[in-house]
Amino acid sequence: MTPLLEVEGLVVEMRRHRAVFRAVDGVSFALERGGALAIVGESGCGKSITLRAIMGLLPNRGRLRSGRVIVDGTTLPADARGRGRGHHQRRRMSIVFQDALSALNPVATVGNQIAEAPRYVLGLGRRAARARAIELLGLVGIPDPDRRYHAYPHELSGGTRQRVMIAIALSSDPAILLCDEPTTALDVTIQTQILALLAELRSERGLSLVFVTHDLGVVSQVAEAVAVMYTGRFVETGPTAEVLAAPRHPYTRGLLAAALDVDSPEHEPVAIPGSLPDPLRLAGGCSFQPRCEFATGQCLTTDVRLQLVGPGHAAACLHSDVLAACQAAGHHG
Amino acid sequence: MAEPLIEVDGLTVTFPSEHGHILRAVDDVTLQIAEGEVLGLVGESGCGKTTIAKCLAGRVVPSAGHVRFDGRELSVRRTTEDRRAIQIVFQDPYSSLNPRLSVRHVLGELLRVHRLVPQDEIEARLRELMGLVGLPKGALDGLPSQFSGGQRQRIAIARALTVEPRVILADEPVSALDVSVQATILRLFEDLRSRLGLTVVFISHNLAVVRHLSDRVAVMYLGRIVEQGDREAVFSDPRHPYTRALLAAAPRLHQVELVRSVVKGEPPSPINVPAGCSFHPRCPRAEDKCTRDRPALEPVGGCPAHLTACHFRDETSAEQAP
Repeated sequence: MTPLLEVEGLVVEMRRHRAVFRAVDGVSFALERGGALAIVGESGCGKSITLRAIMGLLPNRGRLRSGRVIVDGTTLPADARGRGRGHHQRRRMSIVFQDALSALNPVATVGNQIAEAPRYVLGLGRRAARARAIELLGLVGIPDPDRRYHAYPHELSGGTRQRVMIAIALSSDPAILLCDEPTTALDVTIQTQILALLAELRSERGLSLVFVTHDLGVVSQVAEAVAVMYTGRFVETGPTAEVLAAPRHPYTRGLLAAALDVDSPEHEPVAIPGSLPDPLRLAGGCSFQPRCEFATGQCLTTDVRLQLVGPGHAAACLHSDVLAACQAAGHHG
Repeated sequence: MAEPLIEVDGLTVTFPSEHGHILRAVDDVTLQIAEGEVLGLVGESGCGKTTIAKCLAGRVVPSAGHVRFDGRELSVRRTTEDRRAIQIVFQDPYSSLNPRLSVRHVLGELLRVHRLVPQDEIEARLRELMGLVGLPKGALDGLPSQFSGGQRQRIAIARALTVEPRVILADEPVSALDVSVQATILRLFEDLRSRLGLTVVFISHNLAVVRHLSDRVAVMYLGRIVEQGDREAVFSDPRHPYTRALLAAAPRLHQVELVRSVVKGEPPSPINVPAGCSFHPRCPRAEDKCTRDRPALEPVGGCPAHLTACHFRDETSAEQAP
């Protein structure tokens, strides 16, 4: 069976002032029907740009240099605004952004915003579209959907706005939901509710999920597969539980060591030395090498790509076996 | 507890809202902070934690209640010394620093205006401050835009330290930073506290960070403190259902299952606070009396080091489980 979504060798170039750099550099993954992938990384690693490239919504200063996005066997055109072959496949995907307040139209009622796709994309009549919007408001757990239909975004709380965003995303009946940090701006008790809603949509409607986040803590709640991103590349991919328990890339290991966990107050967080390299000045070799405790001379010259280190588990590191040995010996962080 | 450095008594802050309504941001908060301790103030957005900090710093005028510092009552119009003594570090180091002024300019001006060191010692003091926050001396000549988020937060901390405060109010100081640098800023706070004997009020929505850094913790909901106590008492034996819900919802690195959300709905508006216990509409434990009687913040099992504002404060979580 072909996967529902295949992303192959995605390369996105971004302009900054006069210079051009690769914000996404060869990202590939496949997503089964009903599957979920979490992409985790720090600010500027290219995780949001990856999502936008898949959706065909790159900002003006970005350009898809190469790579393909294949939905259900059909390659999509690079730009969502185009009308070429395979354009309708784009409707199989929807995106939910982090900041619902700026993503929503402030001068239209949320009901009208949700009804738009059913009416103009799915071709429903005015009444049917309205009924569909109210149904969706109920589906995403907004109480009193009939009344809320007429609300404007500014009248709603952050959590409710994010639910409206999800309702809009679902309104075109997509098979794939791309989520760009949808819970980052929300309080934890509301975050739990939104994550539960997404899980419910997966199990009940067979929705597939690509979930971008900077928070390792939510990864295990949303997806059974994870990709860790650094300077535009996936540096480690694999089953979430395994990657978090036994990371095989030093960056993943560093992120875990730097994170705090409510359950282990005695864990002393250790920061990753140095800072993110300037994407305009990336030297050859491994981009993490200047900050890496495992780096050797080889790392300066070898351009490492993802290599399998276990079943379904890949890492882009020359020393991934050393990390495994450390793990086995019980040297954490 | 030794003689508290800061005593907050019955602090209430209201703001006028639309249509003549009144928003109670802080509602009758009483709190003591000992010299040299780190108090973690936790709660979700809009619960009033930042407003408390602003009151302590004298930036917001309380509608009722008192703030005592070092045994004296702080009036609305503070003396220069009092303002110097309590300093704030803000969440977002990208907007809290003037982009047109060099680090040397900002810190140097403070030293001159407050006449903290003689003119010819300013340079030495600036270097010392950089060392204190772990920045190279060269950073003095940089503009904020030339620094990373973590470095900017160090600059913001250095600015607060320039006037030799006794208390630092840190308002979500690591929330805007990437995980990989958060640890260094937390370490810096620990370091400053032990080297300078600073008292720190650490405001955060992130329980993991608060548990890591604080000696004592106060949990806020809708302008009130609902639970307060020594860190371990609050985290390992939470007695307020809201504290329990927050703990259950906290993101965890090694969680196998999806968290079932414990609390329903969203916090009500602080303009229209529910009668009785303000948490009752969302509380899994609520009974009839919770809708009528507001529980006071009282000791759990008679232990004054752990206070909870819940009618069922003496039930453990095992007893409360359905």
